[in-house]
Amino acid sequence: MSSSIEIRRLSKVFRRKKSLREILTRPGMKGSEIWALREVSLEVPHRSIFGIVGPNGAGKTTLLKILACLILPTDGDARICEHDVARRSVAVRRMLGFVTSDERSFYWRLTGIENLQFFGNLYGLSGKPLLHRISYLLERLDLREPSDRPFKEYSSGMKQRLAVARALLHDPPVLLLDEPTRSLDPISAKHLRRFVAEELNGREGKTLLLATHNLQEAEQLCHRVAVLSRGKVLSTGRVEDLPQWGLGKDAYVLVLSGIESLPQELRDGRSVTDLQGGLVRVAGEFGRDGEALSAFLRGVLNRNGKVVSCTKVEPTLQEVFDRIEEETA
Amino acid sequence: MKTVRQIFSFFRKDFLEEVSYRTAFLMQIGGVFISVTLWYFIAGFLKPLPGKLPGLPGVPYFAFLLVGIAFYHYLSSALGSFAGRLRKEQLTGTLEAMLMTPTPISVIILSSALWDFFMTSLRVLAYLGLGILFGIQFRVHSLLAFFLILGLTILAFSGVGILSAAFILYLKRGDPINFLISSASALLGGVFIPTESMPHSLGAVGRFLPITYALNGIRKSLLAGTSLRDLLPEAGVLLLFVAILLPLGMAAFALAVRKAREEGSLAQY
Repeated sequence: MSSSIEIRRLSKVFRRKKSLREILTRPGMKGSEIWALREVSLEVPHRSIFGIVGPNGAGKTTLLKILACLILPTDGDARICEHDVARRSVAVRRMLGFVTSDERSFYWRLTGIENLQFFGNLYGLSGKPLLHRISYLLERLDLREPSDRPFKEYSSGMKQRLAVARALLHDPPVLLLDEPTRSLDPISAKHLRRFVAEELNGREGKTLLLATHNLQEAEQLCHRVAVLSRGKVLSTGRVEDLPQWGLGKDAYVLVLSGIESLPQELRDGRSVTDLQGGLVRVAGEFGRDGEALSAFLRGVLNRNGKVVSCTKVEPTLQEVFDRIEEETA
Repeated sequence: MKTVRQIFSFFRKDFLEEVSYRTAFLMQIGGVFISVTLWYFIAGFLKPLPGKLPGLPGVPYFAFLLVGIAFYHYLSSALGSFAGRLRKEQLTGTLEAMLMTPTPISVIILSSALWDFFMTSLRVLAYLGLGILFGIQFRVHSLLAFFLILGLTILAFSGVGILSAAFILYLKRGDPINFLISSASALLGGVFIPTESMPHSLGAVGRFLPITYALNGIRKSLLAGTSLRDLLPEAGVLLLFVAILLPLGMAAFALAVRKAREEGSLAQY
């Protein structure tokens, strides 16, 4: 066995419930179908961090909930550590922890420790082993101090860390993370990412499946990613190797000075705007091999121009997906 | 052993949540006192003719009424707690987190009502204690008989309650079981009036409700000192209800969970 998660031709179709009006006017008609996932196939190797990236509504959460046995697939199959998620749900649940960004999934009037004790019991732990495990996790996730306070008094960062602690109570080999940093400030998000990469994956060797719409997060954490859009996997591979990732080009915005009129050869395919004070703003895409950008800068410098600033512009997630969709259409 | 610990963890969790609402906790006890006092005076006005309380010779109507109302709480609790707890877990988002654990769904649903049954038992004890203060004389011949009838009553009512929870899980709102059973039981199950005193057709409907046999058995064991042997007919019928309703409730709940997993609506409300 080389993969912790195996997904083969997995599809999920939701049927929209009919409105009262539709029931009365068209009693024989079935509710319309919504394809949340279409023939998704993936393999997540042991001890790796695999990212599912996609915009909202791409099907990321549905995929994770199927793996967590909370939703049944319509077709295809998925296995966690060789256990079928549709038929061996109890065995699957022993193998995985699920971290969502939903703050509602705790008892708000109970303390952090009381919440962990309750869920620990449900994972079959009790007595001293459970208390030791809770103590260890509180320490590792920097939750020792607030652990006696009611959950309702926790900050968003603490709530998210407690969700991670809960998912780790039974020390599962596989962890599903559904946008775990969505409600966190940049520093808390950075700490959580470091914990995930260094501790959970690096030191403990856990397999992690991360759903995110944050490309930088995927780039920082994931060994491999799958791009999911409208329920379909558009592309799979290493983040930096995805051929469609911006179609091999990066966008830059340059501000130039000392150059009165930009020749046509440097303007082609680029947006040029004259700014106040004799400055010129150029926005355009340049190939990642550096040839086009170097040639452009040479052209500016040869005409005695100066480069005031040169900023790489990260494409929005939607732009990337639109490009990938165009490419794969 | 693991299952017992899991069941207890629900009890502990619900206890901790409940005591965090201190005012509501105290108000519940106050409500029992007001209710008993009210029924004491109402019963004073409503004195049934001698012999109108069959099987309970010499028992005053207030005692009949108090025991009926007190133990009707077990039915209300069963109908309300399984479905109510489930809906609360859906609303608070904790249901999905619980279903993510390897704990069987049957343990989760049965344990979720444990605290409510415990509180109902305390409430019933308060009713009975206040009944003594108001002059009721309890004549218990066999505690075993009482607890047997009570145990079967709780199990039978739980079957109905779990059935009700299955509807809530699937429909989210508008559970027909709760509405039908609670109304019919209060009206036709002998809570306020002996079923024998009702018009024949209404009394016949009451014979299909578990509460009729539960209240008959409990009243006889608490108020008339009836022996275990003489309570076997009630116990037998209640056992039949348990054998039908409990597996039916569990099967319906398992089906509702499956449907909700198919529709992806486990955590929706």
